[in-house]
Amino acid sequence: MGIEKKYLVCMLYVCLAVTVLAGVLVNFHEHAHAAFLWQAIPGFSAICGFIGCILIIVVSKALGHHWLQRGEDYYD
Amino acid sequence: MIEWLHPGLIFILGALLIPVLKGNWKKIYLLLLPIAALIDLLYMSEGVFWSIPLLEYELVFGRVDQLSLVFGYIFVIVAFCATLYALHVKEDGQHISAFLYVGSALGIVFAGDLFTLYLFWEVMAFSSLFLIWYRKTKASSEAGFRYIMVHIFGGICLLAGIILHMQNTGSIAFNPFSWGTGWGYLSSYFIFVGFIINAAVPPLHAWLSDAYPEATVTGAVFLTAFTTKSAIYVLIRGFPGVELLIWLGAIMAVYGVIFAVLENDIRRLLAYSIIGQGGYMVAGVGIGIGMAINGSTAHALSCILYTALLFMGAGAVLEMTGRSKFTELGGMYKYMPLTFGLYMIGAFSISGFPLFSGFVSKTMVVEAAAHLPIVWLLLEGAAIGTFLVTCLKLPYLTWFGRKKSVVEAREPPKNMLAAMGVTAFLCVFIGVYPQALYKMLPYAVDYAPYTASHVIGMSQLLLFTFLAFWMLKGMLRGERTITLDTDWFYRIAGKKFIWFCEKPLLNFADSIDKTLLRIADSFVWFSKNPAVASRIMVLTASMVLLKPFNPGYMRYEQDLEELRRLYPGEVHRVAIGTGVLLVIMFFTLYLFMYLTYGVLWA
Repeated sequence: MGIEKKYLVCMLYVCLAVTVLAGVLVNFHEHAHAAFLWQAIPGFSAICGFIGCILIIVVSKALGHHWLQRGEDYYD
Repeated sequence: MIEWLHPGLIFILGALLIPVLKGNWKKIYLLLLPIAALIDLLYMSEGVFWSIPLLEYELVFGRVDQLSLVFGYIFVIVAFCATLYALHVKEDGQHISAFLYVGSALGIVFAGDLFTLYLFWEVMAFSSLFLIWYRKTKASSEAGFRYIMVHIFGGICLLAGIILHMQNTGSIAFNPFSWGTGWGYLSSYFIFVGFIINAAVPPLHAWLSDAYPEATVTGAVFLTAFTTKSAIYVLIRGFPGVELLIWLGAIMAVYGVIFAVLENDIRRLLAYSIIGQGGYMVAGVGIGIGMAINGSTAHALSCILYTALLFMGAGAVLEMTGRSKFTELGGMYKYMPLTFGLYMIGAFSISGFPLFSGFVSKTMVVEAAAHLPIVWLLLEGAAIGTFLVTCLKLPYLTWFGRKKSVVEAREPPKNMLAAMGVTAFLCVFIGVYPQALYKMLPYAVDYAPYTASHVIGMSQLLLFTFLAFWMLKGMLRGERTITLDTDWFYRIAGKKFIWFCEKPLLNFADSIDKTLLRIADSFVWFSKNPAVASRIMVLTASMVLLKPFNPGYMRYEQDLEELRRLYPGEVHRVAIGTGVLLVIMFFTLYLFMYLTYGVLWA
């Protein structure tokens, strides 16, 4: 199990690296494609996904814990 | 030979025969109806059919063009999948209400005038209600009640708008409505509100996340497909290019995601994801250019398929375990690997993985928003969140998440698996061969989804989202809570309003009542014997006033008690005196008023 997990984690890192590299390469070719300034940044989608996901989790949970989440019998 | 047959009629009239048939014949019949409707659609030519004059107006039941045909196809196809999924259900009532629901949704799609639209709009609301009530739990009956109340309100808004529109323009044809600011557009506003209630646009969306998770396992699959998507259809028809919709849609997309992150119930999480997905379509309608309308239509199509698939997967878990909460699930992979696999195809589709249906439709809307940076960012954020909740959080907490599963289960019945298989196949088919989808769209498509930058951009987005999820997955554990949403206003504020009416308001009314009665009582008491009564009053007053100065007030007290005890005394003896007294009192009052006129009062 341990080896398998290590292998999977390794694969994940390889995939991450490959997509970022591929993104940089494509960026050279299709530079005119960018609709916004930030799309010209190589690996913008990667940053967007990583930061976006953390933001969504943290902000949602903060909203939930401080305001929106109530006990299951709240409406009874 | 009839020139044109309404596909909705096949469902509505076909539903009548369901109780007559038994056993396997019934099952075959149930599956044949959607197939018959599909054949009917395939042989349909464009044009206007079944227009029936009513007074000075024209009812049009069959407006067939590219847009209505696309929605017609997908409604019929998903009706087949959902019927297959529900084939084991014994209650005829569920099948009948589902078929009425599908038929009325098709009625909306082909309606060429506003009266016909309204008619099917109401039939759709009421037939879908029974798919919720057939769950037969307390929660479902209450949620169903709230569901129908909201839809009745929406229907009234729509009707009010239609009547105003008819008065303003003299026509009931269903064409794009005029839009602007001012009282002149009141009819459009009413119709707009009616439409966006059904499209579940926040803050008018809470009926969806409230009621869908309480519906029957099979009914929920039907529900996901028709109400919101037919609302998207009428928005495309009625309000293309209304800028407000862009912002509502972008907010809606993120809103759904945030609530899905907090949710503990698997089907409610998916219900919020439907709201989120609707955001893309609503925003697309708002952008209004050909590419955006194409994107909305294409996304509605693929969304119908994959949300149906997701609800089928979640429904299978609920059906087999009787549980639907993350806090009561986990480790189900051991028992339901097939369900997991098929669910994941839906999850990959909704997340927009390359080669799955969401990828070829969602990116169209996002691309069309390329001139609006904030909207673009919101939609991109919603894509991340959708992947996070449907493809990572839900499967992780349901099928994995625990070393040992908390409940035993097995795979669902064959028909449910087969339905999931067919739907999953369609999701992949659209993803692999998007031309099949693009060919049906109302505008010519000039869009290639599989460019290197699209595929790589999406892969980066999804993989790095996964990385962030893996780091923070502890934070996403299910919590035994519910999340307050805008239904709070009619669930709690409504209760509080009734409490206010029952307690403070009624008490106030009561006290006014009592005071008036007391005053009337005292007049009655006084008039029984005014002479003695006024003596009693004088004595009482002087007792209170003189008590501190006169130590012998005891005497007064005895007198007073005596008077009170005997009151009203021998009335016949004082009758004349009383009359005289009353006359004098009135004269005095009159004199007082006369003399003070102009001094104390005017």
